[in-house]
Order: sequence, then structure tokens, then C-alpha cells
Amino acid sequence: MSINQMILRNMRKNLKNYYLYVFALVFSVGLYFSFVTLQYDPGVDNVETSAKMAAAIRTAAIMLVVIVTVFLVYANSIFIKRRGKEIGLFQLIGMTKGRIFRVLTIENLIIYISSMLIGIFVGFSFSKLIQMVLFKTTGITEVASLNFSAAALLQTVIVFFVIFGVIMLTNWIFIKGQSILSLFRATSKTEGQIRNISILEIIMGLLGLVLIIAGYYVSSKLFDGDFSVMNELLFAMAFILGAVILGTYLFYKGSIRFVANLLRKRKKGYLNINDVMSLSSIMFRMKSNSLLLTIITTVSALAIGLSSLSYISYYSAEKTSKQNIPDHFSLADEQNAKQFEQELKESGFDFYQKEFKVLQANVVTKEILVKQQSGAAFDPSEMVLPIISDQALNEMNAAPDEAIFTGYSKVLASVISFDKEGLIQIEGKEKVIDQDYLGLENDYILPYSYSDGGLPTVVVDQTTFASLQEDIDEEVQDEPLTYFGFNLEDPSNLSEATDLFQSLSYNDDEGRSSQYEAFLQQKENMGLVMFIVGFLGLTFLITSGCILYFKQMNESEEERPNYTVLRKLGFTEADLSRGVRGKQLVNFGIPLIVGLLHGYFAVRSGWFFFGTEFYTPMLIVMGIYTILYSIFGGLSIVYYKKVIREAL
Amino acid sequence: MNVLEASKIQKSYGNKFMKQDVLMGIDVSIERGEFISIMGASGSGKTTLLNVLSSIDRVSGGSIKIDGQEMTKKREKQLAEFRKRHLGFIFQEYNLLDTLTVKENILLPLSIAKVSKEEAIMAFDSLAEELGIDEIQNKYPNEISGGQKQRTSAARAFIHNPSIIFADEPTGALDSKSASNLLNKLSDLNARRKATIAMVTHDPVAASYSGRVIFIKDGRIYTQLNKGTESRQSFLKDIMKTQGVLGGVQYEH
Ligand SMILES: Nc1ncnc2c1ncn2[C@@H]1O[C@H](COP(=O)(O)OP(=O)(O)OP(=O)(O)O)[C@@H](O)[C@H]1O
Ligand SMILES: [Mg+2]
Repeated sequence: MSINQMILRNMRKNLKNYYLYVFALVFSVGLYFSFVTLQYDPGVDNVETSAKMAAAIRTAAIMLVVIVTVFLVYANSIFIKRRGKEIGLFQLIGMTKGRIFRVLTIENLIIYISSMLIGIFVGFSFSKLIQMVLFKTTGITEVASLNFSAAALLQTVIVFFVIFGVIMLTNWIFIKGQSILSLFRATSKTEGQIRNISILEIIMGLLGLVLIIAGYYVSSKLFDGDFSVMNELLFAMAFILGAVILGTYLFYKGSIRFVANLLRKRKKGYLNINDVMSLSSIMFRMKSNSLLLTIITTVSALAIGLSSLSYISYYSAEKTSKQNIPDHFSLADEQNAKQFEQELKESGFDFYQKEFKVLQANVVTKEILVKQQSGAAFDPSEMVLPIISDQALNEMNAAPDEAIFTGYSKVLASVISFDKEGLIQIEGKEKVIDQDYLGLENDYILPYSYSDGGLPTVVVDQTTFASLQEDIDEEVQDEPLTYFGFNLEDPSNLSEATDLFQSLSYNDDEGRSSQYEAFLQQKENMGLVMFIVGFLGLTFLITSGCILYFKQMNESEEERPNYTVLRKLGFTEADLSRGVRGKQLVNFGIPLIVGLLHGYFAVRSGWFFFGTEFYTPMLIVMGIYTILYSIFGGLSIVYYKKVIREAL
Repeated sequence: MNVLEASKIQKSYGNKFMKQDVLMGIDVSIERGEFISIMGASGSGKTTLLNVLSSIDRVSGGSIKIDGQEMTKKREKQLAEFRKRHLGFIFQEYNLLDTLTVKENILLPLSIAKVSKEEAIMAFDSLAEELGIDEIQNKYPNEISGGQKQRTSAARAFIHNPSIIFADEPTGALDSKSASNLLNKLSDLNARRKATIAMVTHDPVAASYSGRVIFIKDGRIYTQLNKGTESRQSFLKDIMKTQGVLGGVQYEH
């Protein structure tokens, strides 16, 4: 039989083994190709923010390559191990390793190229869908047209041939490192021996838990103002990352086995079928699985965290724009305001107006700072703040010697925080006015542009305001601005009113702002980020789910002889299936729960940088993750059931 | 009294067009407390017979009664239930779960029968002593020798006092010393616990430990030998003689 015949025959026989690998390949190629098609799509190029978007998509594409490479290398490693016996047989009949490698490479190449073709076809069809999703999330109204891009094709082909090279390299290393004997034992050897739990392992497990908890603790303190120096902050972040990842690894390596061992010891050797199927089997493999589980957990946590954060910003786009721009429209020029009022009336909008003066003055906040904080971008003991009179507002009232801060952004508050009360000084040109600081309110009164991007607005009594107005410091401002705010009675007309506002332009008005405009802008920016991060997160989830699933497929095959014994002993399929469910609950549940926990703490520590809503968007993201993970868990149970059924 | 009564067992593999008859009408009965061996050439259907008798495989025809219960009419679930409570197994390999310790492996059949933990552990202690596996009880299967593995599976087969124990080439993978060690223990347990054992073997020496040998040829019973009051040595000679006639192969001893 010639080599060629042998290759063909082998491939036909191995088709069943291949399907997993083929699936992984088609999936990866399809995903990557559709993504790259998007990158080269002229429709996307037309988008206003094209430079930003293209850069973001390119970065994402690189991450995608990394994920896909890891995924394919792993799928291949399972695949080649399954064929260990066959390779050993070739060696036994006198083929050299080089020859075997060549045979394997040719075989692989045929599979690889055909899967790639299918993948590209699938990806091409899929890219239209993705494109529609992208335009939907960013709010861009453009018809998604299907363009086949030669550049995308070329890039995909190049990338996957490089990956093919990597895979062949791992195969070569695998074949090189094996003797005939060890090849025969390829599947059973990998798990290694199991020993009794050592003290070292217990310490390791506990250390892991301590590290994780420490990481969580530091993360919850991260933006409480305890770490205000930039270096400290970076150090703390590095610590959190290191502690949590290492902790997770040690936790998997030590704690789970330790806890399982405690449970097992208590049974004094008298295990029921559920224990046999889940407890002992998990313990048996946990040591060698811990690295894989750590990687999966860490990256799912990353993916959960990132998608939650981006979804938080997307979800809170409306609230954020309301915070940044409290009134529907604002202007500072009286002429403009009059005209806009007129136009609104003529177009038949019902609205109400605000008008008040806004001063800027230097405020000494030295005595109300929570503590001396260094490292901020400016000296927080003295800053220029917008000042308004309490007459401008209905909600607040200040006595002549009192001042209230309001509308301080949470992001800044995390860096510079104030005491509940104290003494401040407002500096005019000549005089300095002492005021009792009464605390911080949550109402947002002035647009972002007035408050230097989120500094608090100072509300003082009308008399104080009047005397400050007399004593303006020209170095701070020439003359006080007048704030004109417009609000529609019926917000559902906002879109049309915004069209009107935009048609009048007012680009020279330094107080110009439009809430709806800001909302759309926010949505477009965050929609893109969310789309990319969501895409990556989903990809990672699917690949890690697949890896777990493949791993379980492999495990079930390895445990088949056990199932045979158990069934001969008289355990029914149902008994075994019940045990498997418990086992999969742990196998998929633990990385999921740990990943969710990690994600939760990551999101909690810095979510307020991204938006105003925490629980709803985060829970939605986590819910989706949980559902998808459960699907993979369910699939693996179905596979186990098949193996169990065929075991006798 | 007969523990097992099988009549006219038939078994064929394949479909209508490609049928291979492996068992063609075999009658076997085993008395309580008996230790029998099944011998025959390779491919003669020994394993098939054992699998069929032990309800792991289904017959194509005939009837099998164990403890007076008809096995061939039972559904899969009932069969599993029956195996759990009334049957014990020892196989050539793939016997033990490599994820469980020796003790856990042995106690497995008791946990199904919902025996209390104290009773289970008492049963284990006495059996472990008889079989000499006290010291290895907390080891995993890949940490013990082949002989120890087989003694472990023997312990597992005996622990729940089953009506009958089926063994398929239990000494197949053992050297002669471990094999005779195991067989001595088996016949001890057979005598002391009145356990019924049906064993398939190639090895006349192994068969000579039993009280009766059934020879199979071409799917039928060729002949049976009874040990009676003979010594093991002379029984062994008889077995080898019969085997020589049966297969045309002479064993030198
Ligand atoms: N699952 C099966 N499907 C088809 N034919 C089978 C199957 N199992 C066994 N056979 C056939 O039945 C016959 C008897 O097989 P069996 O395994 O019972 O032999 P045996 O006496 O145990 O042999 P050995 O001493 O080699 O173990 C053989 O010819 C075999 O080819
Ligand atoms: Mg056999």
C-alpha cells in the first residue's frame, strides 16, 4: 500500500475523530473572516468615526487571532492524543518519525484547507449579520450590503496558514517527544498519578483563597481614595490582577481537591454512585486541569468584566447625557437664546425656560479635603468652580454665609473627596468671602462645559452672589455668563427639536449644548466599543465553552471502561447519568461562578467611570454568559449519556 | 438446589443475512455453593456464554433462571437491579475504577444495596483480611500489582454475598504464583462462604481448582468433568486429557 493510499484510508477511518477538529476550524475561520470582512467594508469606512473604528476593529482582530490560535492548538492537541495509538503503530511497522509527521501534515492540510473554504463561506454569510448588528448598536442607519473583500480573504488565508504552522510545530514536538510505548499509552498517561493530599496542597489551597479575597478587598478599596497617587494605583491594580490569577490557580490546584478530599474522607470509603461519578472523577483530574481552568476562568472574567463595563456605558448613555447636560438645550448668548425661543414657539413646541447668571471664581477647598492628596492632575486645595445663586434654583437654599456643592461627578469624587462640612473661601478680586460648606448634593445643574468636566457647582445665597458679582477677578473670567436653559414639556419631541437646534447651528455660542446630541454621540461611541468587546467576549465564551466541552468529551471517552464496569455491576444508565449531571455542574459551574465573581469585583471597582447604572446591565451580561455556559454544559451531558449508553 | 438453571440457550450475532451462531442450545445448571469452570478453544463462545448467563448480554433463544427468576424476560432496568443485588463479577482487566481507592472500589456494591455504613465497613474488614488486602486499602489501582488488583476485584465480587459470582479469565493477566494465590483465595471463599462461582478460563490449572469443568465446542457442550473426591492433581490430569482431545493441543506439565 502506498503512502497516499494509506493517508486516504486513514482519513476515511478517522472522520469521526475529525469532526470536532473540523468544527473548531470552521468556526474559527468563519468568525475571523467575517470580522476582517467588516474591517475592510466600505460601509464601515464611511462611518464618521472611521479612524477610531478601524483602529478598534484592528486591535480586536489581533486579539481574535490570539484566541483562535489557542483554541485551535488545544483542539488539535486533543485530536492528536486520540490518535496516539495509530502513530505508535506506524512507528512499530518501521516508519520514521519524520515520515509519520509528513503523513500527518498532508492529512491535516487536506482537512485544514477544506475546513477553511467552508469557514470562509460561512463567515461571508455571517458577516452580513454582524454588520447589521454593528449598525444597530451604534445607531448608524445604513443598509448593510454584502461585499466580498479580496483583501479580507488574503488576510484570513495568511493568518490561518501561520496558525497551521504553529499547529504543525506542536505536532512535531509531540511526535518527537514520544517513544513507541508512550504513544500507546498517550491517553491514559496524561493525567498522571494521584496521591493523597499533602500538607503542602492544603496550604496552597488556603493561600489561593487568601490571595483571591485579598485581591477582591483591594479592588473594592481601589477608588475609595485610599490609592490616590498614580503609582500606588497602578501598583494596586497589578497586585489585584496577580493575586486573583495566582489565587485562582492555587484554589483550583489545592482547595477543590482539599474540600473534595474532606468530603470523601468522611465517607470512609463508602461512596455512592453520585460520589463515584462526580467527586472521585473530579479529584482525579483537578490537578492537571487547574491550569486550563485558571486560563478559562481568567479570560472569561475579563470578557465578563469588559462586556459589562461597555454595556454599562451603553445602557447608561441616556442618564450620562442627562448628567452632563441637565437641560435639553442650553445657550449662553442672549441674542441666540431669544432667537431659539422664537423658533421653538413658531414650530409649536411646548417648553419652559431657565435663565440665571453663572460666575467663575477661585475657591479654596483646602480645609474640606478628606486628606492631603497628592498626585492628582492639579492641586485640589484650590480650584475654579462655577458659582450660582440659590435664587436660580427652587430646590436649594443657602443662608448668606453658607455654600452648597452640587453635581460632582463620581469619577472625580473617587480621586478627590470632600468632608461632610467645613470652611471654604471664595476669592473675589479684592475680597475673600468665608463660607460654611454644608455638603454635597446630587442635582446636576450646569452642563459639563461650565464645570470643567465634572467639578461641583457652588450654590450660594443671593447676597453673597451679588457681592461676588461686583468683585470679579478678571484673571478667572471677563464677565459672568448668563445660562439659558430650554426644556420641552414633552420629551418625545426631542428629536425634532434637536433637528431645529442643529439647523440654527449656534456654533459660536460658548454655552451651546444639546442633551440629545450628546446622547447620540455617547451611544455611537459606546455602541462601537460595546460591539467590539461584546464580539470578543462572545468569541471567547464560545471558544472556552468549546474547550471545556472537548475536554469533557475526551474525559468521557477515557472513563468509558469505568462505565462498563459500573454497568456490569448493575448500575443503570439513569444512575450514571445522574452522577454525570452532578459532575458537570461542578466542571462547568465552578469556572463559571469563579469567573462571574471575578468579573463582578472587577466591574464593581470601576464601573462609575463608565456609566450610571450598575446592576441591570451587569446582570444582563452575566445572565447571557450563564445561559451560554449552561448550553455547553448541557451538550456535554448529552455526550456523556451517549458514552454511557454505549458502554455496555 | 440450583442457583442457576439455563436451558437451550442460543446466541447469534449479526443480522438476518449475515448470521453467526455462537451458542447453539446449551443447557447448564449450577448448584448453590458450586465452583464451576467453563473451558473451550478460543472463539468457542465462552465469554459469550458467561455474558449471557450473567445478563450482560441478551440471548437469542432459550431460558435462564437465577434464584428461580426468569432472566430473559426482564427489562434492562430490572436486569440492572438484579445484577446489583444478586450477582458478582470478576473480569480479566478493566476491573477497577482508577478514580477510586481499593476500599472504595470494594464497597461499591454495598452502597447500591443501601447497607448501613457500619455494616459495610465490618464486611470490608473481614473480607480484606481474608484476601490479604488490608495494607493497600487506601491505594489507587495504578499503585498496586496485578495480583492485588484481581484480589481487589474478587473482594468486590464477594462483598455483598451475591447468589452467584461470574469470573471471565480472572487469572489471564497474572503470573502463575499470583494466579494460584488468587485461586486459593477463591476456593477458600467458595468453601467458607458457600459462594457460588462460575469461571471462564483457558488454563487447566485454574480450572482444576473448581469442582466441575464444562467444555464447550462449536457452541455446544462437549463434555463435563466432575472432580468428586479426586485430588486436584489427578483432576488436573483429567482436564488436560480432555482438553487435548477437544483441541488437539497437548499441554506439557
Ligand atoms: N459483539 C460481537 N459481535 C459479533 N460477533 C461476536 C461478538 N462477540 C463475539 N463474537 C463472535 O462470537 C464468537 C465467540 O466469541 P467469544 O468472545 O465468546 O469467544 P471466547 O470463547 O471467549 O474466546 P477467547 O477464549 O478468545 O476469549 C467468536 O467467533 C466471535 O467472533
Ligand atoms: Mg473470552
